Amino acid sequence: MSVAEIEAREIQLEAPTGGLWADAWARLRRNPGALAGFFLVGSFVVIAIFASVMAPYSPTHVDLNALSANGLPTGPSWQHWVGVDQLGRDEFSRILYGARYSLVIGLVAVSSGLSLGLLFGSVAGYVGGFVDSLIMRFMDVMLAIPGLLLAIGLVAALGQGLWQIMVAVGITNVPIFARLLRGSVLAQREQDFVLAARAVGARRRGILFSHILPNAMSPVIVQGTLAMATAIIDVAGLGFLGLGPQDPGTPEWGTMLTQADQYLESGALYLAVSPGIAIVLAVLGFNMIGDGLREALDPKLRGRVGKFKEAKAEPPDGRLVPEVGESA
Amino acid sequence: MLRFIVRRLFLLVPILLGVSLLVFVWIHLLPGSPAQALLGERATPQSIAQINHQFGLDKPLYVQYWRYLVETVGHLNLGTSIKTFRPVTFEIENRFPATVELALGAMAFALAVGIPLGFFAAKKYGSFFDHSSLIFSLLGISIPIFFLGLILKYIFAVRLGWLPSIGREDVLATRSHPTNFYILDAILNGDPGALWDTIKHLILPSIALGSIPLAIVTRITRAAVLDVQNEDYVRTARAKGLPPFQVDQRHVLRNALLPISTIIGLQTGLLLSGAVLTETVFAWPGVGSWLKDAIFDRDYPVLQGGIMFLAVVFVVVNLIVDISYAVINPRIRLS
Repeated sequence: MSVAEIEAREIQLEAPTGGLWADAWARLRRNPGALAGFFLVGSFVVIAIFASVMAPYSPTHVDLNALSANGLPTGPSWQHWVGVDQLGRDEFSRILYGARYSLVIGLVAVSSGLSLGLLFGSVAGYVGGFVDSLIMRFMDVMLAIPGLLLAIGLVAALGQGLWQIMVAVGITNVPIFARLLRGSVLAQREQDFVLAARAVGARRRGILFSHILPNAMSPVIVQGTLAMATAIIDVAGLGFLGLGPQDPGTPEWGTMLTQADQYLESGALYLAVSPGIAIVLAVLGFNMIGDGLREALDPKLRGRVGKFKEAKAEPPDGRLVPEVGESA
Repeated sequence: MLRFIVRRLFLLVPILLGVSLLVFVWIHLLPGSPAQALLGERATPQSIAQINHQFGLDKPLYVQYWRYLVETVGHLNLGTSIKTFRPVTFEIENRFPATVELALGAMAFALAVGIPLGFFAAKKYGSFFDHSSLIFSLLGISIPIFFLGLILKYIFAVRLGWLPSIGREDVLATRSHPTNFYILDAILNGDPGALWDTIKHLILPSIALGSIPLAIVTRITRAAVLDVQNEDYVRTARAKGLPPFQVDQRHVLRNALLPISTIIGLQTGLLLSGAVLTETVFAWPGVGSWLKDAIFDRDYPVLQGGIMFLAVVFVVVNLIVDISYAVINPRIRLS
């Protein structure tokens, strides 16, 4: 191959094959981790939607006859695949219904946190100056308070309940997204295409919405997926601390884990393991998709639909350097 | 360098003021009052008024906030817990060492396992071991700490009975604690039995709390080693005939430690800011579980003082991380 040919080939490889999203999708499809993630999250969503069809019992049906002779929860059997809890409720059905709570709370929390963070971050990044300082200092203040304590405090202030949990977890997400988007917008603001748009006389809001934001979105999408994972853990953590949905009979995974804690001594390990595994699988799914998306949307890898193996390592990323919000 | 540090320290002032205001507004939004939480069903209007008067809660809010600021900044006085009647500073002196010990234990575990794991994963890039380490670290960030804690407790405390499951030392122990760092105390007292007891109590909580940093350290180490391995100076070192072991040690690992050290700092800051869940599972008497209880007890002084304290720790640790990063890596210019 001549030098010119090699160069031509390189240019060809660098050239995007079909737009950012088509490209990303093509790369995502070849990533076994991401596919496994899609499978996990897909099953999670299907279970959440069809819980009432799939569950053999009602999640709140108390059946004291299912308990052992001395009133303790009993382990797996033909009638109850994962055993029954301290009130004789079918554990398997409760796990299936629990998917609803995790999915809905997580989705609402992340999307509200994301939209608020998006608003603050993009305004701060694009307007700059005093507004930028004001917004970002406020975000710094929120970041200085440990995330889980902030969430606990918000639930304590708002009262226990489903929407309160969503608000609390959502708010802890706001500064993370705001910072991410501000950085992203700042980087895009200096790009040539923004200058070009300004030169042809486009209005500021128009430039922000049609030029800057779409290009600044890919880290937000990655972070959003990973935030779903964290949100599910946080919701379960709140439930574990006794700040779950008001009715303690609600089949929320974290709440179920706390109740199981009391029966560990009597050997009812399955009561802790089953909701725990449910949480791990759901969280794992979102983390795997997030990882896959990050690789797929990485502009450095664009236009190479899996033909070339990257010699360089994946760059350290937002999720691995969490600034806040990790529940410890 | 000095100018950078001074400017950063000045920037902390508005942030901490903001935190104090936010915490103040928030705790007064909490439904219920400390007097009610303290007195419970025995509360009479008189006793409530008395408690409110005793803690200055009957004054207007701006007066309360101003007094809180003056006391905190001027006299370093964080007030008295409404629940235990002990000074908040006294509680912090007792509890923060517990949190620090736990955080260091968790970090030690994460580094001792994570760095070798990440290093060998990168060395065997693409191998079965490499893939397993990736899956392992994904699992590490996907397992809720309280679930891992419960399982560890069940296996090693309930089933095998090898390790204690709660607290910092044997409940029957009557030892003196001059520094409140129990490991340090045991060494100072020259008491090997106490040292072993303390370490045994520290193991399970450290593993539970260390699971997330472990996963992160593993991945960052792997990525950093992969990056460094392709550098020219590594090739040069190999070409001049250095034994592979020395190349790895002196050239690869040394340079890969740069990003790892940043992560260590950031993660330690996070761990210090209260491991609420771990401390709850293992009944660890640290700052996190204390503040969680204070929220339920409406213990205003504890919340004001404690969260302020954690915020200071968090921002100061972050500042130290930034500075040390510039010191370790001369290529970074602080601006």
